[in-house]
Amino acid sequence: MKHFLSVVLFGAAVVALVSAAGTEGEISFEYHRYEELRKALVSVWLQCPTITRIYTIGESFEGRELLVLEMSDNPGTHEPGEPEFKYIANMHGNEAVGRELLIYLAQYLCNQYQQGNETIIDLIHNTRIHLMPSMNPDGFEKAASQPGEIKDWFVGRSNAQGVDLNRNFPDLDRIIYINEREGGANNHLLQNMKKAVDENTKLAPETKAVIHWIMDIPFVLSANLHGGDVVANYPYDETRTGSTHEYSASPDDVMFKSLAKAYSIYNPVMSDPQRPPCRKNDDDSSFKDGITNGGAWYSVPGGMQDFNYLSSNCFEITLELSCDKFPNEDTLKTYWEQNRNSLVNYIEQVHRGVKGFVRDLQGNPISNATISVDGIEHDITTAKDGDYWRLLAPGNYKVAASAPGYLTVIKKVAVSYSPATRVDFELESLMERKEEEREELMDWWKMMSETLNF
Amino acid sequence: MASKSVSLFVLFQLLALNVVIQTSAFPTPTASADDKTVYNRQLTEERPVQEQIAEADSVKAAVQSAESKRPTASKDTESQQDLDDLTVLKSLADGQKSKEATVVPLKKEDQFVPDESDSTKSRRLAEDYDSTKNGMDYGKYQDDPESFRQVDGTPLTAEDIVQKIANKIYEEDDRGVFDRIVSKLLKLGLITDSQADTLEYQVAEALQDLISKNAKNNEIEDIESNDQETRREEDEQGSDANADTWEPPRSRYNEDEEDEEGDGDEIEDEVDRDVEEDGGDTADDTWDKDTEEGNEVRPEDGLQDLQYFPNFYRLLRSLDSDQNTQERETLITIMKTLIDFVKMMVKYGTITPEEGVSYLENLDAMIAMQTKNKLGKSLGPPDFSGPNGKNLDEDDNTKAEAAKMQKEYENLKDSTKEEQPSTETNQPGKSETYLEAIRKNIEWLKKHSKEEGKDDYDLSKLKDFMDQQVDSYIEKGIIAKDEGDTIKRIYSSL
Repeated sequence: MKHFLSVVLFGAAVVALVSAAGTEGEISFEYHRYEELRKALVSVWLQCPTITRIYTIGESFEGRELLVLEMSDNPGTHEPGEPEFKYIANMHGNEAVGRELLIYLAQYLCNQYQQGNETIIDLIHNTRIHLMPSMNPDGFEKAASQPGEIKDWFVGRSNAQGVDLNRNFPDLDRIIYINEREGGANNHLLQNMKKAVDENTKLAPETKAVIHWIMDIPFVLSANLHGGDVVANYPYDETRTGSTHEYSASPDDVMFKSLAKAYSIYNPVMSDPQRPPCRKNDDDSSFKDGITNGGAWYSVPGGMQDFNYLSSNCFEITLELSCDKFPNEDTLKTYWEQNRNSLVNYIEQVHRGVKGFVRDLQGNPISNATISVDGIEHDITTAKDGDYWRLLAPGNYKVAASAPGYLTVIKKVAVSYSPATRVDFELESLMERKEEEREELMDWWKMMSETLNF
Repeated sequence: MASKSVSLFVLFQLLALNVVIQTSAFPTPTASADDKTVYNRQLTEERPVQEQIAEADSVKAAVQSAESKRPTASKDTESQQDLDDLTVLKSLADGQKSKEATVVPLKKEDQFVPDESDSTKSRRLAEDYDSTKNGMDYGKYQDDPESFRQVDGTPLTAEDIVQKIANKIYEEDDRGVFDRIVSKLLKLGLITDSQADTLEYQVAEALQDLISKNAKNNEIEDIESNDQETRREEDEQGSDANADTWEPPRSRYNEDEEDEEGDGDEIEDEVDRDVEEDGGDTADDTWDKDTEEGNEVRPEDGLQDLQYFPNFYRLLRSLDSDQNTQERETLITIMKTLIDFVKMMVKYGTITPEEGVSYLENLDAMIAMQTKNKLGKSLGPPDFSGPNGKNLDEDDNTKAEAAKMQKEYENLKDSTKEEQPSTETNQPGKSETYLEAIRKNIEWLKKHSKEEGKDDYDLSKLKDFMDQQVDSYIEKGIIAKDEGDTIKRIYSSL
């Protein structure tokens, strides 16, 4: 029996060595087709069922589930005050690195959580992290089915209908530019969002699914993973004048730069000032410290990044992670190592700025209240429990909370880099104020009448 | 990705080769049995049905010898069915009592008790069969008909109960005995429904043993054994419960073997039997009926066992002529021994079920190769049991069913053709990955509860939660039905 044991052990050891198609601890670095992706997510869930949950936001055109793995200490529920974060990858089906990185990230977070990594444990306990490895599984299959190592620059990019998903979102940039000139709302620009989406025949099923997802969950911070270059790109993507290259700053330009840098700084390739461009004739003049403004690089209308910012409270940036859109499988481990720290650090950025609750004087939460910051022409709103998270770079700010029927309250806040500063608001409704005034009047009248003997 | 699986396969070949060489020096029953007793202790501790711990073995042995030595009491004193059933249970008290006195002479027998099931029972029942030897001192316990405890207050072990029930049923040739006893136990809350099922398996197997021992050429279709086979999937108690489903069909085959091998090998037989059923069923747990791993070890009857080694089977067939009978029998024995061995390894946790499975799978392939090399004849196309592996076309309705389910699964899978190649090569690994993931979770839970100072995490609550989640995921299309079943089965076998 002992012999058998030793033989088995030896065999197992050799097997382990052989199966090192690149492994870091327990992660195996290889491409995942749809079934394998599904299996990988299920395995993470089986390993960490108390902190993960798999759900689907809908189906692709060819019927593949758009799977999301959620990680939090209470998966499935929004805990009041807990910020929501998402990573979406592979919206261009042939840009494969992001898809794989998110699978590895899921495995990594689960493993680290169980191994007692304090940073990861804190992150998972205090954030609700959503990972969607592939927004375009149909495109990926097309791209992956190409024979040979070299994959075409375009095959598999669009969805099964031939739609480029990153041009398919309602173009809210145009509206904001008009509003900037002529006045109008500076946030939540898609009126009657649900109706607009459901009745829009031009939207691909994947786009629709993501828009509904954005409407349902009060995301605070997000990133969109691509390939074909190496840079962290931030809003706005579409130029104001319509030219092909023009720096198009958003009201939160300072914060976005900070967010983009928070990613690039831990990616040695992205932040390398000496890095040559991916292709000889590429124009990377807009890249600085591994980041770039979208419009300055090249104009993109109808993109998901700007849609997030202009239709919801979510700040999103675009991460380009590899010169090669669909590189060789044995490079995946290297990409993971280059991006692992960035990926984790970027999630932590959600815990910045100011956050808190907006309630009425009885303590009831006021949802959809407006949080505005003096000097920044972009407001955000409170979620169902009256909770809000306003990402801000360090500095002194005047933050105002307002809601229809309530009196606005303004507070002065000093914001540090991290963690977020807690600022709660108790709003007095107009009715209450009227009541107060009426009572004051009555008191005065009583006093007068007593004094003057009415 | 392809190269990896090829090299893996090669490795397993080597491994198989290694092991085949090793197992030619198969340990003797006595030597291994010692280990088994030790292992047995651990198993009995884990099994929820068991209430006694290590003493169960010596107690069992004590019971059997005690009863064999006991002065016979006549059956005629029993007038009421109720009393009968109860006394069946209570009679164990006597056995327990004499434990002390008979420990020493029983040491030897002890060694041949690998675990609580089967071999012990078969041995005991052989001696119990003598109807004059019921050894029940009715008078003593008549005052307390409802007691299920022994004289010294310790509760009866399940094995004892099984023994006695089987005895009773055999003597009275009435299955109702079992129902009565079990409903009583259930009413008293001494056992749960699932334990009642387990009990049923165990009694049936004990009964089958009885029958086979005493009527060697008997081919009676026991109702219970049929039920067992159809209910095979309902194992929950791990190797313990699963052991039973193997016993009836196996013993039928082993009757033939026993004729050949004689009493001296009887022990080894029982050992083999135990090991085979336990290990096989543990392996079963981790496998889908959907032939993801290949239906290697299905307990139909003894020989059909081997049909899932198609190459081996072909080899046997090629030796079908009379002059090769001896060789044939030897080969069969060797193969069975190997299978039993692997199952035993799996059962005792020495290797993981998937390792056992892989080994067995590759063993068959090895046989094909070796046959070709050594005997210079081909056994037909090499048969590597993958998910779509071609198993022999035996008259087996479980295989037809498995093929049906495989088709279902194929339909559930994404219809895009491009996926097929890579998916298929990964399917055998899928339940392994899941098993690995679940195991990691359980390990972490155990460690976590310890650190937090809580009591052991609530396994049943976790099981319920996981079942619920799995169902909801199947509904949403996140998990395929067969995967969900695998996961549920893995959890229920914990």
